[in-house]
Amino acid sequence: MNTRGRMFSATAVVTLTALVLLPVVWALSTSFKNEVDAVEYPPSFIAAHATISNYVRVFTEPNFLHQLSNSVIYSVGAVLLALAVSVLAGYAASRFEFRGKDALMLVILGTSMVPSVALLVPTYIMLRQLGLLDSVVVIIVISAARLAPQTVWFMKNFIDAVPIDIEEAAMIDGASRPQIVGRLVLPLIRPGIAATAILGLITVWNDYITVVVFAPDLGRRTLQVALVNQVFDSMGISWSYLMAFAIVSCLPVVLLFIASQRWFISGLTAGSVKG
Amino acid sequence: MSIVSGRRGAGSSACLPRRRSGRPRPWLWFAPVVVLLLTVTLYPTALVVWISVQKTRYYAIEGFVGLANYAAVLSSAEFLQLSRNSLIYVLSTLAVVLPVGLVSALLMQSLGRLGIALRVALLVPWTLSMAVVGVFWLWILNPSYGLIRFGLESIGVEPGLMLGDPGLALWLMVLVTAWWSFSYAMVMMSAAVQSVPRELHEAVSIDGGGRFASFVHVTWPHIAPTLGSTALALSIVYLTLITLIIVLTGGGPIGTTSTWSFAVFRSTVQSVDISPAAVLSVVVLVVNLALGYGYIRWTGRVSA
Repeated sequence: MNTRGRMFSATAVVTLTALVLLPVVWALSTSFKNEVDAVEYPPSFIAAHATISNYVRVFTEPNFLHQLSNSVIYSVGAVLLALAVSVLAGYAASRFEFRGKDALMLVILGTSMVPSVALLVPTYIMLRQLGLLDSVVVIIVISAARLAPQTVWFMKNFIDAVPIDIEEAAMIDGASRPQIVGRLVLPLIRPGIAATAILGLITVWNDYITVVVFAPDLGRRTLQVALVNQVFDSMGISWSYLMAFAIVSCLPVVLLFIASQRWFISGLTAGSVKG
Repeated sequence: MSIVSGRRGAGSSACLPRRRSGRPRPWLWFAPVVVLLLTVTLYPTALVVWISVQKTRYYAIEGFVGLANYAAVLSSAEFLQLSRNSLIYVLSTLAVVLPVGLVSALLMQSLGRLGIALRVALLVPWTLSMAVVGVFWLWILNPSYGLIRFGLESIGVEPGLMLGDPGLALWLMVLVTAWWSFSYAMVMMSAAVQSVPRELHEAVSIDGGGRFASFVHVTWPHIAPTLGSTALALSIVYLTLITLIIVLTGGGPIGTTSTWSFAVFRSTVQSVDISPAAVLSVVVLVVNLALGYGYIRWTGRVSA
C-alpha cells in the first residue's frame, strides 16, 4: 500500500483508539479528583487538586480485602476445576475411539449454548430447597460448568496437535496413561492451557449475576458486586470514589490481558474462524 | 488431579501396550465433566421447562397447567415490549459493531507494529466487566456533570436526560454495548483478513483489478463466513446481557430498556410468581439454542 494510504489508515485508527479510550481516561482523571472537583462544570481533564485519597479510601475500606479475596477464590477455583475435568475429557476425546464419542462431544458443545440467564430460575429454586445459597463451593462449581464445554473442546484440539508417537514410545517404556498425560502431554500444551485459563479467569472475575443471585450474602460479595451496589447506594454517589473503585476492580484483569494479549487473542479466535 | 499423580510405577508394566494401551475406559475420563454438566446445566434446563408448565405461587409449585403460562405471557403487552426492545437492541448493536469492526480490521492490516499496539488498546474495553463499563458510562452520560453533556452543549445541542429519556435510553445502551464489544468483531475480522492468500490479491492486480475489485472478489468471499459467525456469537452475547442494563438504566425509563434476559433476572430476585419468569427463560433458551446451532453449523465445527 502507498504512503498516502498508510497515513490515512494510521490517522483513522489512532483517532478511533483515542475515542475508544476516552471513557477510560475520563474515569482515571475523575478518580484523582476530590469530590468537589469531580462534579465541577464545565469539567476539566486535569484535576486542580490532584489526590490519591479515593484510592486510599478504596484500599482501607473494611470489606475491600474480603471482596478481593472472594473475586480471586471464585475465579481461580472455577478455572482450576474446569481445567481439571476438561483435560481428562479432552484427552479421552483426542486419543480414545469408542461408540457414542461424537454424540457425547456434541452434547458437551450443546451445553455451551444454554445461556446462564435461562438457568437462573431453576438453579435458584434448586439451591434454595437444598439450602445451598451463599456457598463458595457452589459459585465455583457453577462458574466452572460455564467454562467447561469450551475448555473440553480446546483441550481436545490442543492434544490432537501433540504427535501420538511420543506417547506410544513412553508407553512401551512402561509409563501409565496418567503419567503420560501429566508428564508428557500437559507440558506440551501449556501455551494452550494458559490461553484458556486467562479467558476463564477474566470471565469469572467479571461475572456479577451468578454471585448476586446465588450468593447474596454480604460476606460472599465480590468486587463486581460491591461496585454495582455503590451505584444504588442510597447515600448518593461519590463519583470520584466510584471511579477509583471501578478502576481497582478491573485492574487485575486489564493487567493480565496486557501481559498476555497474544494468548488472549489466540484464545478468542480459536475455532471461530472458518479456514 | 489425583488420577494424574496416582499409580506411580507399580504394576504399570503388567498391561503392556499392544496397539493402544491396556483397554482404556474412556467413560471414566469423561465422568467428571459429564457429572458437572448434568447437575449444573442439563438438569436445570429440564427443570425450567417443567416449571414453565406449572402453576406457581412465589417459588412454590402448585400443579400442572399445560401451556396456560405461555398463553398468558406471550399474549401480554409487556412481552411485546420486551421482544421489541430485545430485537432492536441486538440488531442495532450488530449494525454498528460489524461495519466498525470490519473497517478497523481492514485499516489495521497495513499498520504493522503500530497496528498491533493499537489493537491491544482497542481490546481493553472488551476485557472490562459489564459493571465497570456501566459505571464508566453512567458517569460520562451523567445529565448534570457528564462529559457528553458538556460536549453536546458546546456545539449547541441540549442533551436532556439522556439515560433518563425514554426515547433515547435504548439507543444509548446500543452505543455503550457497541463501545464494549466492537473490538471482538475487529479481532475476528483481522484473523479472517489475514487468512486470505496473498497470491489471490496479486492475481487480481495482474488482471488489472484495483483495490476495490480485490476486496469484492478476494477479501469479501473469504471473510463473509467469519462475519456471519461473529454476528451469531455477538447476538448470543447481547441477548443474554443483563448487568449493563442493571447499572445503566435498571430496565427503565418506563420499561424502554427491559429485555427478555433482564426481565428474567428481575423476577428471579424479586420473588414474585416464578412461572412467567420460567416462560421467558424458555424463550431465551430456544432463541439461543437456535443461534448457537446456526453458529456451530456455520463455523463448520460439525460437518453437515
